Amino acid sequence: MNQKDAGLDITIFFCQRFDKDQDTNRRALEKELGSKIKFFPLPCSGRIEPLHLMRALETGADKVYLLACQEGACRYLEGSIRARKRLAYTQGLIEEIGLEGERLELINVTPENHMTIDELARELLAREATVSLSPIKAVISNEY
Amino acid sequence: MITGERKPLSEIKEMVAPFKKILVVGCGTCVAECASGGEKEVGLLASALRMDARMEGRKVDIKELTLDRQCVFEFIDQLTDLIDQYDAILSLGCGAGVQAVAEIFPEAVILPALNTTFIGETKEAGLWIENCRACGDCKLGVFAAVCPITRCAKGLFNGPCGGSKDGKCEADANTPCAWQLIIDRLDKRGQLDLLQKIYPPADWSRQQGKGPRKIHREDQEI
Repeated sequence: MNQKDAGLDITIFFCQRFDKDQDTNRRALEKELGSKIKFFPLPCSGRIEPLHLMRALETGADKVYLLACQEGACRYLEGSIRARKRLAYTQGLIEEIGLEGERLELINVTPENHMTIDELARELLAREATVSLSPIKAVISNEY
Repeated sequence: MITGERKPLSEIKEMVAPFKKILVVGCGTCVAECASGGEKEVGLLASALRMDARMEGRKVDIKELTLDRQCVFEFIDQLTDLIDQYDAILSLGCGAGVQAVAEIFPEAVILPALNTTFIGETKEAGLWIENCRACGDCKLGVFAAVCPITRCAKGLFNGPCGGSKDGKCEADANTPCAWQLIIDRLDKRGQLDLLQKIYPPADWSRQQGKGPRKIHREDQEI
């Protein structure tokens, strides 16, 4: 079953340099899926902090993507490398509490890929769901 | 700067297990610089503990606060109106911070979430190295500002030991030989003659053997 049909809440942090019209392009998908998808544009993927990823999971995301440029193709040279390391560090933190590391995933977008952010997101949503609904979200639903 | 590393989550969980309302308190000074106890790390730890509790079906209330300094009363005082609302304070300060908070609030449970590690410097982003043992008898002036007690694995005052290779320590091939650094620097400064002298062992009575050390200055009193 793909991630959309599995009803996963997806959060996407992304380098906004992929798509200069990201602000407009993501609107339709946001309207269509409502709170099932959340986009967080970053000036560079290297601006991601482990805390951003943790907060996304804590507030109910089942799967969090970080879309970065290919290493070596980052406008700020080291942003994609930092993004990779910070995501890996956060995976270690969530594995400590028993959450699967694969709930956080780094996607390196190739420079030749001229897809808009909504096209990229739809492609991710169409991927096979490799994680189930987050056990954290289930508790949030019961609490509120 | 005093450095620290976060304790394993399992150890922290065991400490906080009896408590339902916990305040995670960071320190915005040394341990923030070494990315172990500042505002970001407070957020990460609190977030991890909240998620962990949810996954295990435990109800806990975990809040966050970062003081500018956890070892100075004027900053710790921010806790005065809050502390009664919590069963325990989980401190991401260094050992001095934890004890300073506990001194002011002796009836509160103050728990350490960090292992205080050493006095050191930020060598580069993500790398901190120890370079001072706070021996109380500083000899950096004669050793070209390289501390042989801290940076020489053998702590030699009259080195080198002869075991270094390619300028690296024989005890750890990734560590520069402190005595190579001392000699190179003194040579550049034309001060190699400083090494003609035999230096007696450090006066360790200034560091230990008399309990906690104190610095008292009347001119700083209010």
